Amino acid sequence: MDAVFPFGFPSATAFYLAVYVLTLAVHVVFMNYVLAGSAIVAGSALMRRDERVVRVLKDWLPVMLSGAITAGVAPLLFIQILYKQAFYTANLLLFHRWMLILPVLIVGFYALYLMKSGWLSRRRGWARAAVTAVPFATIAFVGYSWTENHLLSLRDRAYWVDFYAGDRPVHTEPQLVPRLLVWACGSVPTLAALLAWQAWYRGWHDERKGLARLAFAGFALTGAASLIYWLAAPEQVSAISSPMALPYFIAACAGLVIQAGSWAAVWRAGLSTRALTVISIGLAMTIVGMTVCREAVRLQAVGADAFERLYPLHRDAAAKGGLPIFVSFLVLNAGLIGLCFVLVRRGTRAA
Amino acid sequence: MDPVFYPVNDFGPLMKGLVIGGLGIVHVFTAQFAIGGGMLLCYFQWLAMTGRSSTARAFMDGYFKFLVLVSFVAGALTGVGMWFTSIQLSPVTIGLMVDEFHWLWAVEWTFFCLEVTAGYSFYRYGPGLTDRTRLALLVLYTVGAWFSLFWINGILSWQLTPGGWTETGSLWTGFFNPSFFPSLVFRTIAALTVAALVAMVLVNAVGSFDRAQRTELINHASKLLIPMMAMPLLGVWWLAVLPEDSREWVLGGSVAMTMFLQLAVLVSALIGAYAFVGLIRQRLYINGVTAGLLCALAFIATAFGEFVREGVRKPYTVRETLYSNSVKPGDVARLREVGCVTDDPYPVRGADAMPTDQVRLGAKVFRGQCSICHTTGGVNSLPGLTRGWDVGLKRVNFAKVHKLKPFMPPFAGTPDELEALVQYITWLQEGKTASWSDSLAGPDRAPTLAQLKKYLDEAAPAGTRHP
Repeated sequence: MDAVFPFGFPSATAFYLAVYVLTLAVHVVFMNYVLAGSAIVAGSALMRRDERVVRVLKDWLPVMLSGAITAGVAPLLFIQILYKQAFYTANLLLFHRWMLILPVLIVGFYALYLMKSGWLSRRRGWARAAVTAVPFATIAFVGYSWTENHLLSLRDRAYWVDFYAGDRPVHTEPQLVPRLLVWACGSVPTLAALLAWQAWYRGWHDERKGLARLAFAGFALTGAASLIYWLAAPEQVSAISSPMALPYFIAACAGLVIQAGSWAAVWRAGLSTRALTVISIGLAMTIVGMTVCREAVRLQAVGADAFERLYPLHRDAAAKGGLPIFVSFLVLNAGLIGLCFVLVRRGTRAA
Repeated sequence: MDPVFYPVNDFGPLMKGLVIGGLGIVHVFTAQFAIGGGMLLCYFQWLAMTGRSSTARAFMDGYFKFLVLVSFVAGALTGVGMWFTSIQLSPVTIGLMVDEFHWLWAVEWTFFCLEVTAGYSFYRYGPGLTDRTRLALLVLYTVGAWFSLFWINGILSWQLTPGGWTETGSLWTGFFNPSFFPSLVFRTIAALTVAALVAMVLVNAVGSFDRAQRTELINHASKLLIPMMAMPLLGVWWLAVLPEDSREWVLGGSVAMTMFLQLAVLVSALIGAYAFVGLIRQRLYINGVTAGLLCALAFIATAFGEFVREGVRKPYTVRETLYSNSVKPGDVARLREVGCVTDDPYPVRGADAMPTDQVRLGAKVFRGQCSICHTTGGVNSLPGLTRGWDVGLKRVNFAKVHKLKPFMPPFAGTPDELEALVQYITWLQEGKTASWSDSLAGPDRAPTLAQLKKYLDEAAPAGTRHP
């Protein structure tokens, strides 16, 4: 585990780790939009404001939540191959508490649709604010639960046995909230970048300063949350400076600098394709870099010996076959998904 | 690798199978609605754009909105819920399935992505698109939805009929297993049926249609019920490819499974008969209440059908490979030597209230071997099922349980563990009394254990006798 991620591992393990990180990064993009977007919508309802950006968010949040759920299936598949026992054990130990995310998410999802309905717009202000707060509350709860589950999966067997014996309903530790805050605050710049593309598509160039402010606020909040996390869990953070993760951490920081520089350009010159492309590249560097850092923290917590014992399982899974057919259908269906966008664009024009 | 033990949760009075079964039925029904709904909408779009129906288009967007609200939210999340619930019930089973088929599951995911993208494109932009574009999006949506079924059907049917996979381990032999095609065609027809019946409910729910328009739409939708006539043949095909013992369960061997199969057939036949005579031949109009009743019957038929599909796998979760209690057939002999809970690090909850170590051991054995299907005081309770049995009868019947009831897995533990289980169940039956003694503490220990070992050896499952 002394080489740069994922090269220090046997080929099967390295491959699954890489696929896991990439699919998780895609999930994070959708998740960030939904988490930060629902927070902004909830905040706007409280302040009785209804700007056009908020209306776009209301319109897009159900699709993006659907995207987050769909994109979340792929890393869920690969995490089971990589860390089977730890993942399953954490699920089992949290039991009702963990399974609660499903009904909660269903409520949040329907609340997103309710938010768009004419019925809600005819209700009083406090009722609108209450319903609008539901998606954010439920999504934040799901985020908290995932963090809780993840941290429990990193503990050793003695802790699990003790947890089970005590029939504890929840797992908590000092780094839980700071860690969640890092991801939650980090979702804001992602939302700003995606909203910027949506504003650019609609020709809303006068939104540039508001979006840049949102991005910079996100950077500042993420920085503050990272500091708190560092103070709460210095031993976890040390994994980020390991040879495995350090280049990715540097890439993530470089991504932040690139984003900040491009947002400054957007502030001055407007929403150009070039500036938004550079912001997106910087964002991708930050998300992938931090996702690898997250994995490095996990691998350090699991320990080299314990993880090495899983190598044969990864090798056996890789030998089962089916990868070529997956790649073929991935390409085919990516093309068909692209076709959907083309069809909508052409069909809208023709109509 | 050392044996892996997972914490086992107590579902209280609920049988674990009921929990996943209940969720599974809702998920299957909504998923079938999503698949059949796409096909119905393709048909309606074609009717609208070729001038064969003047009302189809007005109905479509509302139907699709309903489909998105049901299928994309509840359907998608109950699908994820199935995964998490499967982990709660049997992490070993879901782990095996993921190991074997993760790339095919990933293929299914690519189709799911297509389904969601095409679906939302139609939902969001459909009303403003040209007819050709609408049809193209609906076809893409339907392709995505149906192929999701195609891939998951291979994995689920493999659990029941892995066929040559058990010898070769070949991915494709396992995927295209004997029940793959009958199951796929059956589910496709079920999807068409559900979509048509839901359409009939919604046609009546839309206030803007007059009676003639409703009748026209219902008559069009009822055409999707025609393939139902092939269901009896498909059912026979499915039964024919079942392993012989599984077929026996539903043909009288198991009262519950036979009854549920009969109910599934009866309810499906009622829907089919009404569809054929009333909707297809006489082209009758049906009101919302009748349509709703037919929908409810379809849901009940789905529930019975899923119960049968899950039930006939017994005593396995993956046939010939993994018993329902997560014990591998090849491990039974070893576990009878070393014990099934010897290395289980997770203590029994509430152990302080148990009078002896033997009862505590029995509780642990129950948790590991029995709790996947049985409770201690609720549905399918083991103390209830064995209430008339004395200790001697429990000893022999537990030791030979797979002979007594062939849908049960064999007991996979030592004679000590077997006796502990007998004592634990007896202790529960006798009201958890505080005055309880260890049955193996006295001079009877050696002869009792020898007798139990004899029972176990007499009933050693084929191929599992320890050398």
